[in-house]
Amino acid sequence: MTHTLHRQGEYLDRDFVVLAMSAKGLNELGSADKLRVFLRLAEQFHPVNLGDMKSGSRFEYALEEILARVEDTSIVHAAFDGLPSVEAFVAELARADLGLSVVVTGDTEDVRQMCLRRLHRAPHTTEYSLGIWGRKDRLPPADRLAITSMCGHSLVSPRLVEKLLSEVRSGLKTPEAAAAELARPCVCGIFNTSRASALLAGCD
Amino acid sequence: MRIDSRTCRACGKCIPFCPVGAIEMTPEGVSAIDYDECVECGVCLRSAVCPSGALFQDELTWPRTLRHLFSNPVSVHASTRVPGRGMEEMKTNDVTGRYPPGVVGIIIEIGRPILGTRFRQVEIVTRHLAASGLAVDASSPLIPLMSDVATGTFRPDILEEKVLSAIVSCDVPESRLAEALERLEEVQSRIDTVFSVGIIVPSGEAGKQPARQDGERRGYAACLSRSVSLHGKTNIGLGKRSRG
Repeated sequence: MTHTLHRQGEYLDRDFVVLAMSAKGLNELGSADKLRVFLRLAEQFHPVNLGDMKSGSRFEYALEEILARVEDTSIVHAAFDGLPSVEAFVAELARADLGLSVVVTGDTEDVRQMCLRRLHRAPHTTEYSLGIWGRKDRLPPADRLAITSMCGHSLVSPRLVEKLLSEVRSGLKTPEAAAAELARPCVCGIFNTSRASALLAGCD
Repeated sequence: MRIDSRTCRACGKCIPFCPVGAIEMTPEGVSAIDYDECVECGVCLRSAVCPSGALFQDELTWPRTLRHLFSNPVSVHASTRVPGRGMEEMKTNDVTGRYPPGVVGIIIEIGRPILGTRFRQVEIVTRHLAASGLAVDASSPLIPLMSDVATGTFRPDILEEKVLSAIVSCDVPESRLAEALERLEEVQSRIDTVFSVGIIVPSGEAGKQPARQDGERRGYAACLSRSVSLHGKTNIGLGKRSRG
């Protein structure tokens, strides 16, 4: 699964997702409590979104509801709009020594330098996006795709973007309120509402 | 997913929520789902936008159940026990050692972004890769759906099922990466959807070159230069094995 990869468009320098999960059969048993610690720690660093793939995001549920549904096989996420918050969160995760795998999605060189500074070693593995191939002529315009691609499961509909963009333009909604509505279909909590607001304001 | 035409108030509120545009207003003035285009992602129902409760999940039977499994990330594949349509891949590589040094993972997500795919399109890719000696990961949830894994051929009864995406992953030695990507380029013109491609590599030695230069040293710089951005996923190496 590559759901936090392949984000497109502008303002990627303010787009980071941190996720944690256990490895099935290797450190899975009892990991639900550690995944809950991850989410509680994340909350201290003011993420723009947060969630568990099985339980939903905080744009649908309160944190306590999400925490109550976390299981050993959950994948938990927190989205941030700046590297300093990510860096402080990662330092705290290292101190907590949960033993879970942690993946940071963002500019790979920024993340690498962060690991050298905070963990005093290079990261382990990187997945690079080689972009979109095939019938790209069938895709929505690039500025709309920049918004929808923040849900890697493609659950944020281009039509919903158009509807909300129209409401923003007519003054019925702020970009921030529209971004919050767009975040709801993304069950994992990886849709970056801060970046979405900026993208909505700049759409043609 | 279905809409009960008797209770639909024709407000159209559900229409923009469908990621694949399968909900339309009919000439009779009610919202209706194109059942062949619907991927059973559940977004319309979860949005709770219908004021009359006309949207409902009908009972899914084989092979339509595949739509739900590959499109609704809340569902969990029995074979992987991972929510969503993929596997652990690089996310737990610090614990599993799934991708040892010298092995590159190629992750091809067919139908992503947003267009979706029929399994017939997925088969075009898997057959082409198989003919080039590139096998689909044996632990992939696609494997049980194949009638002939060696040739990348799917069961005929699933070919027309439409899903938001299906992930084909395969491993290659670093030395064969460029060749593998060339085979993948060949298939672009043969399918009617999009696919997103990722490659999984070691992050590089401490204090050494940034990713692009490290890629050059390892011989896959040409692959990285295809990327529009070095925005990617990094496993930062905090995972540890325990007893279970």
